[in-house]
Order: sequence, then structure tokens, then C-alpha cells
Amino acid sequence: MRHAGAIYWSQIRAMTIANLKSRYRKTVAGFFWVVLNPLIMFGVQAFVFRRIMKIQIPNYSMFLLSGLLPWIFISQSLEMTTSVFISSGPILRSFSIHPLVFLAAQLLDNLINFTAAFLMLYVPLWFYNPPNIAGLVLLPISIAVLIIGVLGMSWILATSQVLMRDTRFMLSFALNIGFFLTPIFYPREFVPPQYRFLSDYNPIFRLIDPFRYSIYQYDLLQFARAIALAAGVALASLAAAVLLWRRKETGVYLAL
Amino acid sequence: MSTSPSSRDPILEVRDFNLVFRVDVHRSQSWRETFVNLASSPIKALIDTRDSHQVARNLNLNIYAGERVGILGINGAGKSSFCRCVAGMYAPTSGTIKVHGKVRAIFDTAVGIHPELTGRENADLLVEFLYPRANDKRAIVEEALEFSELGTFVDVPYRHYSKGMQARLCLSVISSRPSDLLILDEVFDGADASFSRKISGRVLDMIRKSGAVIFVSHSFDQLAMVANRLLVYDKGTIHYDGPVEAGIHDYKSLIGY
Repeated sequence: MRHAGAIYWSQIRAMTIANLKSRYRKTVAGFFWVVLNPLIMFGVQAFVFRRIMKIQIPNYSMFLLSGLLPWIFISQSLEMTTSVFISSGPILRSFSIHPLVFLAAQLLDNLINFTAAFLMLYVPLWFYNPPNIAGLVLLPISIAVLIIGVLGMSWILATSQVLMRDTRFMLSFALNIGFFLTPIFYPREFVPPQYRFLSDYNPIFRLIDPFRYSIYQYDLLQFARAIALAAGVALASLAAAVLLWRRKETGVYLAL
Repeated sequence: MSTSPSSRDPILEVRDFNLVFRVDVHRSQSWRETFVNLASSPIKALIDTRDSHQVARNLNLNIYAGERVGILGINGAGKSSFCRCVAGMYAPTSGTIKVHGKVRAIFDTAVGIHPELTGRENADLLVEFLYPRANDKRAIVEEALEFSELGTFVDVPYRHYSKGMQARLCLSVISSRPSDLLILDEVFDGADASFSRKISGRVLDMIRKSGAVIFVSHSFDQLAMVANRLLVYDKGTIHYDGPVEAGIHDYKSLIGY
């Protein structure tokens, strides 16, 4: 007898492979295009902020990488998953399949793109700045917490999108604003103290912050503090998603 | 099958089951509208104006191994909603629904999971979702594709399939294996006439091998062929529960047929 967790994992894996096949079958360059997007974003921003704006941060490429790639993963994941319950609606109404399978598959699909882009950027930078091994060891913890947080947020948004059909437009608007208000291309220390609440209470910044202390400026104490806050945000968003789902499950199926 | 209940062990137990939908056709379905409503008349926007629609009223029901329960009722009576609750898709407003064993519920037979992928790849996914515990998934897929008679079309993207071809593929997969409790909501629809005859035999075979079956249909002939017990569902209550022929007669007099 297979355990329920093993069954869900098998379904998520099958759906992720199907998503990847479906996307990249028509275009061989499809995968490279998806990975190219963050690479171009990174290259342009590194050029603008370092060469034109002349932002004074040591090893700016690594600094930008530690904030920008998690941001791209979060924003792309949220945008990709918000409509997933609606696009899977006919299947969800036809068979008793847990909707989270479709959401998790979309997230895993994006994680593969994120990992590829991350390695393509991060490994070449080692030649300029050798990585801190201890920080590198802590990186999977940052990624695991990030995934839990994004899963919770995605679940809330996908549920909301079924009930309120302009959720994805609101999300797009919020992400555009959030990009400038979240310390991604500038450090939190640049923000005047009276405005620091904008980053301190920003859940996305909390999920990104541990990456800084594991790959850019390794500091175990700072990392421990950042990961504890990130874990708090991740678990709170997952708990909120579960509560919302329990309250709205029937309404979601009716609205699909 | 994962369990082998004796004929007097209920496979499904429904106790004091109520299902209420809160319906408001005027409820805003966007954040923008909600914001505008809140800004223009905050008191009205905060008052809950939704109507209640009771889909099930204090239902009590046992379904035992070997029973093939047909459900008849007019559209909107709540037959599918009841089935969706048993399948775990809707949560009961109050009461309990206990299923002893594995339930498999099918509400549509022309659904592809990934339209961009081929029929074969969609069959792979359907088998993964419908028979998650099966050890012979590959064999189920191959046998279902063979049965579907789609020939070389099995390797054509699903989005190019006609409705009839979609139904052929889907029906062939979903009728592959029995289950402890099988819920079939109008599943014979969709396929062309010649394939309908072929698939009927296969679905009937699956029904006979399953522990218990809930079968929703508007076809008296299908109900007479499949069911050995009939429920007539009306306004959220069970109006009739008993032998099939007498149940069809009861339903006909209920709707003035």
C-alpha cells in the first residue's frame, strides 16, 4: 500500500514532467528562453546600477544575485500559479484530484528554471569571489523555506483568483510596486530608519533576506535571525492558506 | 481493491447530512467591485445579502457492498452535489459522511489533463490520477489505448481530438479498474453510438466488480440495466429508496410524466 504522501509526490512529479514536455516540445530553445529571462534581467540591472547609477556596494554582482534571483522566483511563481485552479477547473470538477497537485507541479516547474538560472549565474561568479563553504551549505535551508513560503502565498492567491477574478491583476500591480519597495537592488541599510518598516514588514523581503547571509555576506548569527523570521513568514502563509482553503473549499469548486 | 468488506458492512455511511450553499448573484466577484461597493455604500456592502439554498436536508443513508445505487432527480435537485460531498470535493455544512475504502468519482468523460500533450500522454496522466495505487499503470494505459480504437491518433495532441474521440479515450481509461466505491455521474454520454455500445459493456463490467456503486443518470433504461437499488432525490431529501422499477414509477408520478 502506497503512503498518501508518496501518491501526491508521484502525481506532482508526473504533472511537472507533463508541464515541461508541453512547454518545451514546440520550441527547442524554450528552456533557454525561460532561463535567459532572469539572466538578461540580472545583466541589465547589474550594468545600470553599478555602471550608470554607480551604486557603492562591494561585489555588487553577487549582492544583486542574492536578492534578484529569489525575487524572480517568487514573482514568477506567484504569477504562474495564481490562475492554476481556474485553468485546471474542468479536471478538478471531473475527478476527485487534490487541487494542490496542480499548484505544486507549477511551482516545481518554476523551481527547475530557477535552479538552472541560479547555477548559470552563481557558479561563474565563483571565479571572481570564491564562495564561503559554510554559507553554501546553508543555501538549501534558505531555498526550502522560500518554497514553503511561496507555496502558502500561491495557495492563497489561487484560491482568491477563483472567487475574485481580478486577483492576478492586483498581484501584477503589487509586484510592480513591490520590486522598488523591497531591498533587492539596494541594501536594507540604504533605507532611512523611518521607512524601514516597508522592508521589515514585507513578507517577500523576509523570504529573500537569508540568501544575502548565505551567499553574499556570510554571517551565521545574521543568517540564523533572518532564517527564523523567514520560517515564521513561510509557516504563517502556509497556515493562512490552509485556513482559507478549509473555509472556501466548497465555494471554490462551485465557482470553478 | 484495497479492502474486501463483507456484504453487510456499509461502504458508505451518511448521518444527519446537510449541505447549504450561500448564493448571491449580485455578490461582487472582483476586488475592484468590492472596493467600489465599499466606498459607495459601506453599510450595504457589509450586510450579508446572500440567500441560502439547501441542497441536502438531514440525509441518513447506508450503502452496502454489492449495492448499485441509481440516483434519479430533476436538474438542480442536488444529486451531483451529494456525490461531490461523498467524493470529498464539497465539505458538508453539518453531519458526517464516512467512506470505508477507496472512492473513485467521475463527473465528466471528455476531459483531457493537458491539451498540448498526446492522447497517450494524457492517458498516462489520467491513470496516475485515477489509479494512484496501481502497480501496473503502464499495462492499464496500453490496454485502455487498445480498447479506445483510436489507432495512430493516440500519438496526436489531445487538442486536435473531436468530442467523441476525447470521450473514447477518457471512457476507456476510467473504466479500466473497479473500486471500493465508484461514483459515476452521467458517464455514458459523449461517445458515438457504436462506441457507446462497446463501452457500456466495459463500464458494466467495472460496475459489477466494484464494491458499491452510485450511478447518477436521467436514463430509465440505463438505471434499470445498472442499478439494483434506486434513490429518487427531490429538493434535498430522499423521496424514494427501494427497488428500481417502483422507483422509476415514483419518479414519473413526482414529475407528472
